[in-house]
Amino acid sequence: MSPLAPFDTVQITAIAEEVFAAMVDGEPGHLVPWAGDAPVLAEPLHAWVEIHGTFAGRTLLSTDVSTADDLARALLGMPADEAVSEEDLVDAFGEVVNVVGGNLKALLPVQEKLTMPRVGRTAPDTHGATRIDGVVLAWRGRPLDVSVWQI
Amino acid sequence: MRALVIDDSRTMRRIVAGALGRLGYETVEAGDGQEALDVLEAGGRYDLACIDWNMPVMDGLTFVTNVRANPHWRSVTLMMVTTESEHGQIVRALAAGAHEYMIKPFTPDALRDKLELLGLLPLEETV
Amino acid sequence: MTLTPESFSYVADVVRQRSAIQLDLGKEYLVESRLLPIVRERGLADVDAYVRGLRARPDPAELELVVEALTTNETSWFRDATPFTALTQHVVPEILAARGAATTLRVWSAACSTGQEAYSVAMALEDALPNVRVQITATDISEQVLARGRAGRYTQLEVNRGLPASMLVKHFTRSGTDWEISQRLRSMVTFQRHNLLHAPPAGQFDVVFLRNVLIYFDLATKREVLRRARSVVRPGGYLLLGAAETTLGIDDDWERVPVGRSSVYRHNARRAA
Repeated sequence: MSPLAPFDTVQITAIAEEVFAAMVDGEPGHLVPWAGDAPVLAEPLHAWVEIHGTFAGRTLLSTDVSTADDLARALLGMPADEAVSEEDLVDAFGEVVNVVGGNLKALLPVQEKLTMPRVGRTAPDTHGATRIDGVVLAWRGRPLDVSVWQI
Repeated sequence: MRALVIDDSRTMRRIVAGALGRLGYETVEAGDGQEALDVLEAGGRYDLACIDWNMPVMDGLTFVTNVRANPHWRSVTLMMVTTESEHGQIVRALAAGAHEYMIKPFTPDALRDKLELLGLLPLEETV
Repeated sequence: MTLTPESFSYVADVVRQRSAIQLDLGKEYLVESRLLPIVRERGLADVDAYVRGLRARPDPAELELVVEALTTNETSWFRDATPFTALTQHVVPEILAARGAATTLRVWSAACSTGQEAYSVAMALEDALPNVRVQITATDISEQVLARGRAGRYTQLEVNRGLPASMLVKHFTRSGTDWEISQRLRSMVTFQRHNLLHAPPAGQFDVVFLRNVLIYFDLATKREVLRRARSVVRPGGYLLLGAAETTLGIDDDWERVPVGRSSVYRHNARRAA
């Protein structure tokens, strides 16, 4: 753990759990640590926010598109069978990483500015980036990877 | 009661406007601070503005500063609703003239509590 | 499916009859979110199906669960706001006028849960009457919640509940993902275990906060709890109850004093018989 980046899996998990309990599920208990080996995502979707300051870092959320669809439905109060538009998908998943990343940012010893969230089928370039820590969580049984990077 | 919901995320706008709607508010949405200023300029009375901090074009803090500089908008209660959660950021927003501050994530109950504090609950409630 | 108007009004009626708490239209989401855990436990599809089942065959134990789920609030800081205004603007000034400003004010926060009420009292008095010496005793039956109160650490979700931002920045510092209340406020509050049906904490109090507790008790128990509270409130001291609660018709040695839109209850000493 770098002294500049006071993040650990306990804090990452705690923040993600609060975000989901308050805004996605309306109650705790639906986002829990993943049991067993980290699964490979079949059709991944990534969302990330970055900090470019004294500390340069990135919070990255990765999950399957189908899970992100359900996440968008939960946030937007849509029925399970309603199709999620690309715009809603990108906006909702982006907002989740924005809230998670914003709360992680507050753990930094210096005040930094968060970039606008970005969402893509391809993960951001990891060249020159170091994964500080991360955790695989299960949201309603499906994998959600939350990681923090130094960039 | 009428509220202006300002956030660049339509998801978040829908969540905030939905929760306000269930409490009896009529809501108008704006995607950034400038758009929100345009809404205010266009007229109409607003009791409350829920304001995100980080937005393109004009951020929430600049919006708050602008609103507080205009005496016509004195009656609008300004509440930041943002993921910015450092102690210093909250102090900055209050110093700029925000009346209240709610950190994302929040629950509908937390929003209700804040409105009660501000004396802005439209319905007479006992729960 | 979402809650039908018939189901909502049924639940609202049940809650009103048993707790005097009014669930107005627009509270459908509250009913749904509070009943969801019970519904899940029963393995049912949705809240409406559960309520329809209750309407067809009302089971007293099940109805009790429903009322409890809807009347137990997550702990907020300045819950209901009015008691704190009454405290700083009416109750404490009157006590100080009678006893002198040098007195140490003793407050009992009964059924304090994780301490938000006790610390709210501390913050309210610290801000409105900074020169008054205050000692707060906060009690609860659960050691678990007392430990949390003593620690004075609250999550982001907890500080979002009814705590004015100005008080958050004034009295709290961030500590990792949590917020920690100042040492000064913590030194004003003592947490101790107590069952409301047993002998009250030692000493005499000027003010007792006993809010949203009586609603859960039958008349005989209410009377007993009020009598025990009265035994430790100084003559001229005050009792503050929840919005749906009163001493009237239960324990007549309290005088109801209207303050703003609410009421507080003054302990009027009986002359020795």
